[in-house]
Amino acid sequence: MTTGISLVRENAESMQPPRSLWVSFPLGRPLGVPNDASFQHGVIAASLALLEHRRGPVLEDYPLDAPDVCVKTTPVCPVSFPKSDDNTDWESRLTSELSSLKPWYEIGKKRRGGRSLARLSNLSIDKNIRKLGKYLDLNHLPIDELQWFKQAIEDAKVFYLEAMTAEPGDYDQNQIYQKLWHETQLGAGLFLFQERFAAHPTLHPFARIILPRNAAVKTMN
Amino acid sequence: MVRITDLPEDEREHLIGKKLPPLGPRSWTKHDKPLTDMRVALITTAGLHFRDDESFDFTDATFRPIPCEEDSSNLIMSHSSANFDRVGFAEDVNLVFPIDRFKELVSAGAIGSLASVHYSFMGAGLMPNAYEQSTREVAHLLKRDKVDAVFLTPV
Repeated sequence: MTTGISLVRENAESMQPPRSLWVSFPLGRPLGVPNDASFQHGVIAASLALLEHRRGPVLEDYPLDAPDVCVKTTPVCPVSFPKSDDNTDWESRLTSELSSLKPWYEIGKKRRGGRSLARLSNLSIDKNIRKLGKYLDLNHLPIDELQWFKQAIEDAKVFYLEAMTAEPGDYDQNQIYQKLWHETQLGAGLFLFQERFAAHPTLHPFARIILPRNAAVKTMN
Repeated sequence: MVRITDLPEDEREHLIGKKLPPLGPRSWTKHDKPLTDMRVALITTAGLHFRDDESFDFTDATFRPIPCEEDSSNLIMSHSSANFDRVGFAEDVNLVFPIDRFKELVSAGAIGSLASVHYSFMGAGLMPNAYEQSTREVAHLLKRDKVDAVFLTPV
């Protein structure tokens, strides 16, 4: 028997799994709040309680929203991204940006007890960033090494995100991602990769994994 | 936040567009023992695995085992979708894969025991039918592990 969480109520309504608890939390956060055992236990208890139902399918709504991030206490991203000289090549711009992030990445990693999501790829972040820069400079797509590309961009994104959230606190997700997409050289490079993949006759589906659907929409003041 | 009505229009339309009919005939298993005696497994579609495991491909219907006794803080994510937050998972594995919470429930006697192995799929880019073979395989493994109930988390 199964029970579980649903993040999109409309999908659970149509597919009718035997037991499902719909939660109003953001995608990527099915248990609601990181490092809040009490909140997470509340969600789990509500989902496990569905096992007691005698008939189904059962779709219940969890009554609590994840608490809003308090803007006044939200830590500011410690990294600033100065506007770069577009005359320099991508490889130089990206490696220079990476250097400025490294101390913050290490601080963040230490705060998280040594935990980091980076290093999916067998290559170091330095090698991945240089290689991504080279592809951008040559105006080529990595069509012969798509699995490397998937891992390299994922590594780069989480490396940046972990550096940008190095200090403890509850970050405004929208603010962090907006900064990543619109203020960094990596963000600019990813937009270029996305554009190039989207225009490719057969590899266009790959464009979907590079940036979120709403990345182009600037919402930050 | 976040209800689907709060999402940007393109995101909302994409998610609602995934509306699919039930997978085959409706199934219902009656619980025949109290939760305090149940053996529970966790399954996520978040594309989780350990660093030494093969990462998930662009589309991928395979699964990765997550042994219960392994250190879950070493789990990483190779999900193909760019449309959800990673920062929360970087802070706390339990936000997506609440293994520590379930271990606490076992210690408190609220559930009987945990499966010796939990599982992760990567839910992106494929229709549900593509997962039939691998889910049957996992169901077989869960039965062999005498699991009574499965707790499912999306991402």
